[in-house]
Amino acid sequence: MLKQNQTNFAVKLLAITVSLTLTACLNSEVQDAKISINTNPYPSTYQPLPQQKTLIQSATVLTGTGQRIDNADVLFVDGKIQQIGQNLEIQDAVQIDGKGKWITPGIIDVHSHLGVYPSPSVESHADGNEMTSPNTSEVWAEHSVWPQDPGFQKARAGGITTLQILPGSANLFGGRGVTLRNVPSHTTQGMKFPQAPYGLKMACGENPKRVYGKKNITPSTRMGNVAGYRSAWAQASEYKRAWDKYNADYALGKNPQAPKRNLTNDTLKGVLDGDILIHNHCYKAEEMAVMIDIGKEFNYKSGTFHHGIEAYKIADLLAANGNCVAMWPDWWGFKMEAYDMVQENVAIVDAIKNSCAIVHSDSGTTIQRLNQEAGKVMYRANENGFDLKAKDAIRWITLNAAKALGVDDKTGSVELGKKADLVLWDQNPFSVYAHAEQVFIDGAKVYDRHDKAYQAISDFMLGQHTIEQGE
Amino acid sequence: MKLISNTSTVKPLIIAITAVFTFVVPCTNAATLAITNATIHTVTEQGTINNGTVIIENGKITAILSAKESEAVKADKIIDAKGKILTPGLISSMNQLGLVEVGAVSTTRDAADKKADITFDASLAFNPKSTVIPYSRKGGITRSIVSPYGGESIFKGHAFVVDLSASFDSVIAKNSAVVVALGAKSEGSRALDLQILANKLEDADKKLAKAKITAENSTTDANGAKGTKAKKGNAKKEDEPKRDEKIINDLLAGNTPLLVYADRATDLLVLIGLKKRFNLDLIIVGAADAELVSKQLASENIPVIVNAMDNLPGSFDSLHTSLTSAANLTAAGVKVILSVADTHNMYQLRFSAGNAVANGLSKEDALAAITANVADSFSLNAGRIAIGYAADLVLWSADPFELSTQVEKIWIGGKEVSTTSRHDALRDRYTTQSNMPRAYTK
Repeated sequence: MLKQNQTNFAVKLLAITVSLTLTACLNSEVQDAKISINTNPYPSTYQPLPQQKTLIQSATVLTGTGQRIDNADVLFVDGKIQQIGQNLEIQDAVQIDGKGKWITPGIIDVHSHLGVYPSPSVESHADGNEMTSPNTSEVWAEHSVWPQDPGFQKARAGGITTLQILPGSANLFGGRGVTLRNVPSHTTQGMKFPQAPYGLKMACGENPKRVYGKKNITPSTRMGNVAGYRSAWAQASEYKRAWDKYNADYALGKNPQAPKRNLTNDTLKGVLDGDILIHNHCYKAEEMAVMIDIGKEFNYKSGTFHHGIEAYKIADLLAANGNCVAMWPDWWGFKMEAYDMVQENVAIVDAIKNSCAIVHSDSGTTIQRLNQEAGKVMYRANENGFDLKAKDAIRWITLNAAKALGVDDKTGSVELGKKADLVLWDQNPFSVYAHAEQVFIDGAKVYDRHDKAYQAISDFMLGQHTIEQGE
Repeated sequence: MKLISNTSTVKPLIIAITAVFTFVVPCTNAATLAITNATIHTVTEQGTINNGTVIIENGKITAILSAKESEAVKADKIIDAKGKILTPGLISSMNQLGLVEVGAVSTTRDAADKKADITFDASLAFNPKSTVIPYSRKGGITRSIVSPYGGESIFKGHAFVVDLSASFDSVIAKNSAVVVALGAKSEGSRALDLQILANKLEDADKKLAKAKITAENSTTDANGAKGTKAKKGNAKKEDEPKRDEKIINDLLAGNTPLLVYADRATDLLVLIGLKKRFNLDLIIVGAADAELVSKQLASENIPVIVNAMDNLPGSFDSLHTSLTSAANLTAAGVKVILSVADTHNMYQLRFSAGNAVANGLSKEDALAAITANVADSFSLNAGRIAIGYAADLVLWSADPFELSTQVEKIWIGGKEVSTTSRHDALRDRYTTQSNMPRAYTK
């Protein structure tokens, strides 16, 4: 293809003016330095905490892949799961008695605003939504994250090992989300999940049209929303074409002029290139169906729908298009688009082959109990004709969530060779009385309910003389 | 699973109740309902009664029988609980039930008004046909303390009590408390709000004292010269308290509770001082810092309404809140009420109680925190399984606090009500196969 194009190009050029022929045809032309976009200018500096070879014995393991293994031993070494079996005898490992306890993959929340809407929620901390334009694809949530948000510690005590921090939903395009390891750090780079793809937050429905409609600018209707998405994708497609052409021409030895850099379109181009994953706040069935078609129109993957209150109405469509859907078990009624909630939503979506149902929090409170959130769905669904087990429900907050974030090759399940992101629960995690006893990230203990040495305190809370800190 | 084991106190009380039972037996003419073979969590000194019977008549509990006494049960209708747990109906609080159908739809919101003041009575707007009501019954909730948001004034209006029967007479009590909101402000100082409250109470108190003296003098005058009669009549007209004054006077007389949103310990201490000074019936809501002043709250018998899940320092007023607050406050002798302020999901109240138990509260205390403690604080004849109390009852498939448990039956005022809501109809529509569009599936 390329060769033929090159020939045609040369022939055409010969027919045009001499001066042009001179600049374009000379293979020996001097090229300016190649302009390329650094796609990772704020690289992760995350390092696992001190790790120890650890063996948890005789626990009930929910693998996250749909299996339950009773009376199982799990060995992890150098941050990776090395053996899963029974009666393993490892002399030099730290031994943890898991009798009566349960092991799950580390819990993953695909929708959090920790750090960008932190506690305390004072004006100075309202950094979660750049509500100044319907398309702010150029903003990156990681540049708003306050790593001292005490909510990170609380989430860790609930077993959260990985979480995606997203911008808010006022804009059609809210900006980039960032996937974090839930480790204490005084920089955001120190929490960034190495090699995790970026997310792009989009939003359907009431929020964008309300926020901008009030300002008397577009969008003020749902059709205005869709026009806004399409116009942005059309521009981004041109931007991508310009860069692709620049790169192709340069590769041919030409000296093309690089397109003018545009940070908004950088992000959208990242989606069109398949490098950035869409995370789309979208409640309603008919809107999700449109968003899927927009993805087809502009040739990108429509990604994960968040807060899909009405996903149960289009469960087939979502599975057929490979969309993940992140849902609450029971939030409803706060907006018109949240009126048609059913408590079995997650289960109905999950029941379709090749589906990807997720339970998310969107809350600094419920992120501490995603196990209970998933449990509520399982029990309510089972009261109404489903036959879901703990081994099924755990996927909604582990492997399916990892898939939506594009890190399912690294975490989200208890499988050999995967990251030892694990939670040891004191009982069946789908009980209201369950506690995460120990939490491991990359095989390093980051939380222990019974050992204050493994209970981190953020800078903000340090020295506040709270009762919890025993003061 | 045994929720409450308090068998030691059960026996002597059962004997006392036998007498009542003999009184009930002849009344076979009225429609009686007997719930037999239940594990009855009475939330009284009787504790838990295994294989017991509750007799209901005219909407009230008329007898509670031990296993042995139950053998002779006669009633128009008998429901065999098969050993399952029977509790009082749960009482939610501090929500906007029936005042808000959809949060972001302004025309369905009646809990607030910019002009609202101390006289604001939102109960006039209560909608018993709200879809939130049957949904909330899924969580075993039979009554609710509904609280308005009010407007710019620190006085937010009157809390009122409803049952969840969805009938047009479900407002049980109006003017159940005067709601005040204090604490951190984005404009101005919290001090001014505390002053406004204190001054209002002080002024009314002085006026009452003055009126008392005037009234005494007038009585003396009336016994004297004739000419004072007309004058007295005028004075009475002038002294007739205005609507807002009557409300403050009711607070001072201890007739109405003062229900105050406040979090920081310093605010709580000011409130405790006001309670002491004016002998108020004070209830504190939010109370994030309550643990710092738990001794004072306990010694002044001030109930606190807390959210068991609040453990984030949402503001500088709430740095000291934790998941163990409910347990620690209870241990310090404070009467704790658990609340889920989210109107649409108040059904989660039982899970809140479960989480409080997971963090140190006893199961007995947790159940009281969502039944009897609420009833006591708002003078409701409910919240316990005891003779003469409203027959608001819930039969659970297992431990009421567990995620896996569901409501099997629920009665409000002795009448069985459904837990089916619009949500179930939607689920059924989209899980039923049909070759016609879903709209034909009803």
